[in-house]
Amino acid sequence: MDDLITEAWDARDVILGGLLQTLSISALAIVLGTLLGVLVGVALVYGAWPLRLAARAYADVMRGTPVLVLVLAAFYMPAVLGLHLQPFAAGVLALTLFCGAHIGELIRGALGSIPRGQTEAAKAVGLTFFGVLAHVLLPQALRSLLPPWINTCVEMVKASTLLSVIGVGELLLRTQEIIGRNFMTLQFYLLVGALYLVVNFAIEQAGKALERRVAFR
Amino acid sequence: MPSAETSAPARPLLAIRGLRKSFGATEILKGVDLDVRQGEVVSIIGSSGSGKTTLLRCVNLLEEFQGGEVLLDGEPVGYREQAGRRLRLKDRDLARQRAQTGMVFQSFNLFPHLSAAGNVMLGLRKVKGMGKAEARAVAERWLARVGLAERADHAPSQLSGGQQQRVAIARALAMEPKLVLLDEITSALDPELVGEVLATVKALAGEGATLLLVTHEMRFARDVSNTVVFMEKGLVAERGPPGDLFGNPRHPRLIEFLRGTRDH
Amino acid sequence: MGYTLNFAVVWANLPKLLGGLLLGLELAAASLALGTLIGLAGGFLSVGASRPGRALAATYVAVVRNTPILVIVLMLYFALPDLGVQLAKGPSFIAALSLYSGAYLTEVFRAGLVAVPPGLVEAGKAIGLTRFGVALHVVGPVMLRNVLPALGSTFISLFKDTSIAAAIAVPELTFQARRINVESFRVVEAWTAASALYIATCFLIAAALRGLERRFPKF
Repeated sequence: MDDLITEAWDARDVILGGLLQTLSISALAIVLGTLLGVLVGVALVYGAWPLRLAARAYADVMRGTPVLVLVLAAFYMPAVLGLHLQPFAAGVLALTLFCGAHIGELIRGALGSIPRGQTEAAKAVGLTFFGVLAHVLLPQALRSLLPPWINTCVEMVKASTLLSVIGVGELLLRTQEIIGRNFMTLQFYLLVGALYLVVNFAIEQAGKALERRVAFR
Repeated sequence: MPSAETSAPARPLLAIRGLRKSFGATEILKGVDLDVRQGEVVSIIGSSGSGKTTLLRCVNLLEEFQGGEVLLDGEPVGYREQAGRRLRLKDRDLARQRAQTGMVFQSFNLFPHLSAAGNVMLGLRKVKGMGKAEARAVAERWLARVGLAERADHAPSQLSGGQQQRVAIARALAMEPKLVLLDEITSALDPELVGEVLATVKALAGEGATLLLVTHEMRFARDVSNTVVFMEKGLVAERGPPGDLFGNPRHPRLIEFLRGTRDH
Repeated sequence: MGYTLNFAVVWANLPKLLGGLLLGLELAAASLALGTLIGLAGGFLSVGASRPGRALAATYVAVVRNTPILVIVLMLYFALPDLGVQLAKGPSFIAALSLYSGAYLTEVFRAGLVAVPPGLVEAGKAIGLTRFGVALHVVGPVMLRNVLPALGSTFISLFKDTSIAAAIAVPELTFQARRINVESFRVVEAWTAASALYIATCFLIAAALRGLERRFPKF
């Protein structure tokens, strides 16, 4: 135990650097994925059929493919197509595409459960389609979207570990490097597991606090 | 209070003595005494909240009770005394005692994953240890007696409410219990299905089954029972043959209760 | 940049890819079986009367659901030998995925148990079954039928999670695709093939499950 504390203290900069990297990757993927997901969700519900078909194909391909395959494909494929992405960018791209498909489905479900009368009432007061969406539909969808969205955030933090496979220096890869030096395998895997637990618990608690605020409105 | 029944051949099959039962601070049963003799049909009537269903559930050990005792065929059920302390029996003993009474519920509670015959067979096989073929034969015999021979392989969801309740009756009786408890068995049925279920119970009563039932059907209680018990606020307020109880009620609450039921 | 597609290498490696796919299905099936045992135990504990039992189940679920699967996989494979437990790659991965799915299945079974009407438990007791008998013959079968759809979707996500076995060099589909990628540089073809095989398999499993659910509808 003393050894672990000493070693972890010595490696604190590396661990914190990895943690920061993990948080950046997750935050980028969640923000970009959510934006993408809103577009996909709206396209799935309200798009003309070619757009709807394209959104459906995109969502199904992303959700039917393992995230690790997406990460590896995003890492290897752009180069042969003449596009040079750093591992970090490739990884964020893969997670964003994955996240966007999931959130798109969530939004499709939430929009689909709002009664038609709401749209009609909003159109009746003279709102445009985007006005209806922004002021009537999405705010209503938000409440039911919040819990699964928080859950998606946790999933993205967990999925960010897959970027270690393509050499992105996030928390898991940094921990593996530390283990490579000091051979304290079990201790440091437990430590890194605990760090992910802390991050994800924090996200869940923040989500619950947010849910309470939304519920009171 | 009845005197201690010693060698009397007419020892009641079921003897409830000073039964007390509370849910938290609310006392539901406040010292109930009730006897049911072999072959007797006893109906319990009373307004909702009088404790009739709770009484039945205590007899079948689905509820724990805090005071008094329930003797089935002379054996105290649910509890044993040890060094002056009252202890709940172990799960296995409770199960053995429950097998001696059958219970039919208001909401049928058929096992949805089993056919009508499967519902009747489960207890025969897993409690009585019967072989499959023998259990099937017994189940078919009982389903025939409740008029459902052709429905043996139907799933509960394919049966009407009245048919489901008749399967439930067959399931209870196939175990050959000493006593059958019927808890408002027609309350969840559409009016047009009540008749078939009551006719089934009447037939069983005619064949000498010992029945203790809670019912809201006053005419049925009058037709089928040897004894009717009126419960009020957790106590037996009046008991007697149906002719006396319905024809010449004495307790003011019973008079009021009967006037209320006649109104609809 | 001219990149011409050439799927010849994929066809040449099809047996290996399909072998990898089959291995993935086997890993998922084994993990689902073990995870179901863990999940059943966790589910019954989480609705049981024992307070420590409920706390144990809740803690297990919370910890595992918030830990990345890759961390669990690496920990079991690389760190367990420190404790004197040495598992081969396949069994080690199955153990990790079972532990992981057990947490999700605990929640599935918990929800299924809560949904069993209490009247069925009473009916089981009334015919003289013991508590264990009621669980085995009444609550269990009814709950299993009702959680069948959730079990099916768990199997699909487990199958996708088997790609992570590539990280400890288990030769499943993702591992094979990466090998083709590295050996032949047919990058697009390798990943397109892998993705298509995953999607097609998930689709087939889902279709089979819909058939199964039609045969055994929820109660």
